[in-house]
Amino acid sequence: MKITFPHMGNVYIAAKTLFDDLGVEYVIPPQTSKASLELGSLHSPEEMCLPFKIMIGNYIHAIENGADTVIITGSCGPCRFGEYCELQMNLLNRLGYNLDFIVIDSPGDIGLKELVTRLGKVSTGSMCNRMDKLKAVLTAVKVVNLIDEVEAKARYLAGFEANKGECKKLLNECKNKAMDCNNGKTMIEHLKKYIDKLNVVKLDHSKEPIKISIIGEIYTVIEPFSNLYIEDKLMDYGISTKRTLTPSWWVKNLVLSPTNMNQLEIKRKAKEYLPYMIGGHARECIGEAVLAHEEGFDGAIQIFPMGCMPEIVSKAILPKISKDKDFPILTLVVDEMTGEAGYVTRIEAFVDLLERRKNHVLSRC
Amino acid sequence: MYYLGVDVGSVSTDLVLLNEDKQVIEKLYLRTKGKPIAAIQEGFRVLKNKYDKSEIKAAGTTGSGRQIASTLIGADAVKNEITAHAVAALDTDSEVRTIIEIGGQDSKIIVLKNRIVTDFAMNTVCAAGTGSFLDRQAERLEIPIEDFGEYALKANTSVRIAGRCAVFAESDMIHKQQLGYNEGEIIRGLCEALVRNYLNNVAKGKEIQDKVFFQGGVAANKGMKSAFEEALGIKVAIPEHYNMMGAIGAAIIAKEKVEKAGRTSFKGFDLAESIFLSTSFECEGCSNGCEVVKIQENESVIGCFGDRCGKWGNKLAV
Repeated sequence: MKITFPHMGNVYIAAKTLFDDLGVEYVIPPQTSKASLELGSLHSPEEMCLPFKIMIGNYIHAIENGADTVIITGSCGPCRFGEYCELQMNLLNRLGYNLDFIVIDSPGDIGLKELVTRLGKVSTGSMCNRMDKLKAVLTAVKVVNLIDEVEAKARYLAGFEANKGECKKLLNECKNKAMDCNNGKTMIEHLKKYIDKLNVVKLDHSKEPIKISIIGEIYTVIEPFSNLYIEDKLMDYGISTKRTLTPSWWVKNLVLSPTNMNQLEIKRKAKEYLPYMIGGHARECIGEAVLAHEEGFDGAIQIFPMGCMPEIVSKAILPKISKDKDFPILTLVVDEMTGEAGYVTRIEAFVDLLERRKNHVLSRC
Repeated sequence: MYYLGVDVGSVSTDLVLLNEDKQVIEKLYLRTKGKPIAAIQEGFRVLKNKYDKSEIKAAGTTGSGRQIASTLIGADAVKNEITAHAVAALDTDSEVRTIIEIGGQDSKIIVLKNRIVTDFAMNTVCAAGTGSFLDRQAERLEIPIEDFGEYALKANTSVRIAGRCAVFAESDMIHKQQLGYNEGEIIRGLCEALVRNYLNNVAKGKEIQDKVFFQGGVAANKGMKSAFEEALGIKVAIPEHYNMMGAIGAAIIAKEKVEKAGRTSFKGFDLAESIFLSTSFECEGCSNGCEVVKIQENESVIGCFGDRCGKWGNKLAV
């Protein structure tokens, strides 16, 4: 059994640690690129959303490298993502690939017992005892938390750094070198080292950078290829960004969801505008927008793939929040287009808008 | 002393020279025809005969080809077209509150308050209602685009055309033609459909307040202006240099920038005679596989675009 999984931001770093520690064989698909998108859109239904297409590209690349089992996360939520696993299984079967799928679903939907059985399938090739397996899982969770912390720190500090580009350099270096860590212990040490490095980055406290919160559909905000590397671009402009939806957030949310204790603050903030769970992360998007305003951010950028149902609802609500709170929000819809000119124009104009607002006292009253 | 503004758009490449009082001294409106470099060279050939490099105090670029234009001419300011349009409109009339801008491939709405941009929107993945579509229809009906608007004004009634999608709007128009409606009525219907599409799509949820500026190449179309006025119920003003606003904005921004920096990096008009060669290749440095475009001027590389890491371009090397 050779396991693979679709890319989603930094997930691969945690997955690598998990499989290394369990001692199971795995294939990390090559980083998502135009080639993955092309391959994916060739085989996917035309009207399907972008993440689906990119994921298919990832699978096929991984299969070419010897993978025979796919792990993905499921969701029985009312959004197309809930259908991904079934559709992808069918699609890959039709293409003649003989694959096993292991779908990790929320315990609230499939029950804890079933989840444990499925997780057990992942580690069938492992020689570890139960205790070590559990330890490997906990280490992987720790790794995902740490890499998200590194990323969040670097993105936020980018606005304050005294030497331009230092945070981005550290972040890229950290991710590249992570691939050389062959077990959980060295990985954790490595990530901690980079947190320490980021903690001592020379900052210019006289700077008052623009602060933007990245909100929207979870896959497209996390997977940098799908959003045309928006966070890297904003870093280059010297802007501090924050993103709540991360793989570690997702894990926490998943674990807490059966108790209904997940995301209490976001739910509370969203209540005035969207008190229901309407699928995907629409409610989170609304809650984060309100939260970003209260936390003193200058603006928010919503990103979602074309045709995303939940986010279309939140897109329609955001102008109301924007007006009520005098808080600029830009919506970007991503699709298969990789021409960046129009995209960059919108981002630059939005940044200009935020800058001029900041320097213009009148508009703040 | 003059300030140069270059707006390299999808359909047209505009060049303007402003004097110290930000008055337009020279303006050139050229077709890009998919070759931004050639269009800039063509413009520079004209300017070269009249002006000298030393007379240009600052140069700015804007439009979707702003990066390439900046590399070519050595721009002091490279600005997105939304900000450039807003700057130019505010300079023309500081009372302006809403800017409707319709260009070749995109349409925008810019909302201003207290002389700053407070909100904007651009068409998303659809080009319905933009200049290219009108251009194509004019061509199909064999009416010069300059006269297109006149036809709409002559018609007393209009035919309803579905404006959501450019392709289906065209088939709708063909059906109506086959039924025997005259050209004027169809063109007027088309203008109304485009305005409807604009207001429901680009301007959705935006407050359109007096005073409204209509700029961009499509503003030349009188039919569109009157369709906007009818739909909005307020007067729509068209600035004198409506199709040059982007370039004017770029020139003004460059002027401000050079006044701060104290010097210009403008390379001069000689590039009109240079030979430019652009080649693209896929970088094999990592799995990103960026498509890199390399631009050479007389066999020396002047710039690369399209790489993410900065290995080729002059971006931050990380």
